[in-house]
Amino acid sequence: MLEITDLHAEVAGVEILKGINLRVDAGEVHAIMGPNGSGKSTLANVIAGNPSYRVTAGTMEFEGEDLATMAPEERARRGVFLSFQHPVEIPGLRMDHFIRAGYNAVMKSRDEDQLDPLKFDRLIRAKAKVVEMDATLTKRAVNEGFSGGEKKRNEILQMAVLEPKLRILDEIDSGLDVDALRSVSASVNELMGPDKATLLVTHYERLLTYIVPNQIHILMDGRIVASGGKELAREIEAKGYDWLAEQQSA
Amino acid sequence: MAQRDSQESHYLSTFAAFEQNGPSASPDWLKALRKQAIANFERDGFPTARRGNELWKYTDVRSLASHAFTLSKGNGHEAIDFAPYDLPCPRVHQLVFVDGHYAADLSTEPPSQAEHQAETIGHRSEGLIVGRLSEAIQERLPLVEQYLSQQAGAGAFAALNTAFVEDGALVYIPDGVAVHEPIYLLFITTGHASVVTHPRVLIIAGADSKATVIQGYESLTADAEPYFTNAVTEIVTRPGAVLRHYKLQREARNAYHVAATHATVGRDSMFASVSLDLGGGLVRNDISITLAEVGASVKLDGLYLGDGKRHIDNHTFVDHAVPGTSSDEVYKGILTDASHGVFVGRVLVRHDAQHTVAHQVNKNLVLSDDAEVDSQPMLEIFADDVQCTHGAAIGRLDPNAVFYLNSRGLDTREAQELLVHGFVSEILSAIVDDAVRQYTDDAVLTKLG
Repeated sequence: MLEITDLHAEVAGVEILKGINLRVDAGEVHAIMGPNGSGKSTLANVIAGNPSYRVTAGTMEFEGEDLATMAPEERARRGVFLSFQHPVEIPGLRMDHFIRAGYNAVMKSRDEDQLDPLKFDRLIRAKAKVVEMDATLTKRAVNEGFSGGEKKRNEILQMAVLEPKLRILDEIDSGLDVDALRSVSASVNELMGPDKATLLVTHYERLLTYIVPNQIHILMDGRIVASGGKELAREIEAKGYDWLAEQQSA
Repeated sequence: MAQRDSQESHYLSTFAAFEQNGPSASPDWLKALRKQAIANFERDGFPTARRGNELWKYTDVRSLASHAFTLSKGNGHEAIDFAPYDLPCPRVHQLVFVDGHYAADLSTEPPSQAEHQAETIGHRSEGLIVGRLSEAIQERLPLVEQYLSQQAGAGAFAALNTAFVEDGALVYIPDGVAVHEPIYLLFITTGHASVVTHPRVLIIAGADSKATVIQGYESLTADAEPYFTNAVTEIVTRPGAVLRHYKLQREARNAYHVAATHATVGRDSMFASVSLDLGGGLVRNDISITLAEVGASVKLDGLYLGDGKRHIDNHTFVDHAVPGTSSDEVYKGILTDASHGVFVGRVLVRHDAQHTVAHQVNKNLVLSDDAEVDSQPMLEIFADDVQCTHGAAIGRLDPNAVFYLNSRGLDTREAQELLVHGFVSEILSAIVDDAVRQYTDDAVLTKLG
């Protein structure tokens, strides 16, 4: 589904990604782990098309098509979704109006039926139930005054509405207590399917006990330095990242 | 100086003719008031920038002063399609003026006494006045002499308005009366000739009364001849009154619009003002509020949308004159093309005005390289036990927010539209009357396209 080859990217003239190779197939869950500043969030944002980042070399293909030349909204319409590490607060714009506009833009691009406010209200209520979110939050301004946990749950609600194929979850576990983490993870798992793929970006091994990955990749200084199964995460939890850095420079 | 003299002398000679042929039946106090006003105007002159006037440093009125605008003769008006100006509610008290002259065909008759009874709280329903100022003057209503020009004093433009005061609206809400439908005062300029109008409005809200007044300034055509609207509104709210005042300004792009609004707010009374500037070429609004008695409060909201070469200048002044008063002010601007927005908000907390609560914020969205904003919040606090905040922001749309919306499938144009609507919604939601809000929402969203 996603094939990244020798990807280089920079922000404000500073190279952050220095040759990423990654392949994610339908039905798979991949986790990207790594220390602060290693480029995890950059990778997530580059795949989603954040214009603050510039791809300088390499290729990104989504279902065989070149992603790098697509506008971010085009990627979204084809089924790429980024759950933001820091969801943006937008005063004055109601959450349900916002996500209906997004939903209808996606549907329109696929020549599928758009929903009027009434029908959309039924949809979003049903999805809110799935992700265990208080539906009254959808009547408030986007993320304004939301707690950290509510913001993350709101990202998952948007994901539930848009039903993307590639789900990139950037630090979905930050700011969540154990109960919230369990509930959000359950929603992510419930919304998964054989035609979908998940890319988890996280600091902590803890998340991976709730959303179990097929593969774990360790990102350090803009490169994937190790890939493996669950045992790799346990090793990181026990030994930290330094041994990998030493191995790398050796 | 010769240039300046000729600019003012046009109005002086116009006044001489007006005084002779104009409103003959004026009472002596009014004749004296006009005479004093034209003398003040002659003394002060137009506040041109080169005279170093701090209050006018962002707004150059030389082009306004150089036009020889004339008073409209008022020989009746053409047929006007009223649909674009109609409020979407079943019945309103409505006074319409065209080129400064009362338009009986577009105005509503005052409702009968029986209808009033049903609309009021308590029994003191008699005496609601939504009528022409000229009639009130002719009928020698003591209210007019008591209140007219008590607040609108300083400044050449207010003086000019007072010198030419003839017609406009008097709104008097008796004590204890709640008027449920909005009171609609509409000033239309046809734009066929370079006319000047001096709309004058006097609003007195009695104790524990409740009412909503909307003042509209419209042009029949967007491509009008240059014209000049010079409006003055004076408002008094008595103890416990709740008065909501909405101004919708949609003048033509060649129009000069200068408007002063003064309000004195009484004990435990609430005055709420929403000012929407969607039109005009050169616009200057002065809103001056005196919180005169304990418990008085004011909510000031404003929105200005600049495009083309529009210049929109909002000066607000809130005087916390006594202890225990509060003000809450939010002004927002969206400036694009080569437009220029100005916000100067002065809040004065006097020495004795303990327990004052004052919040002020001005936010501007600048959507083009050539658009410009000057924002100047001014808090002057002389009391020590107060809660005051102020802030100003000038910026572009947040690129993170645009990307957030892009990442949900919306293209950049749609994203910007949603963000701009979000930006203005705080101001629009300050209008609590459903019918008026529906009308003003439509006006703003149409303007934003």
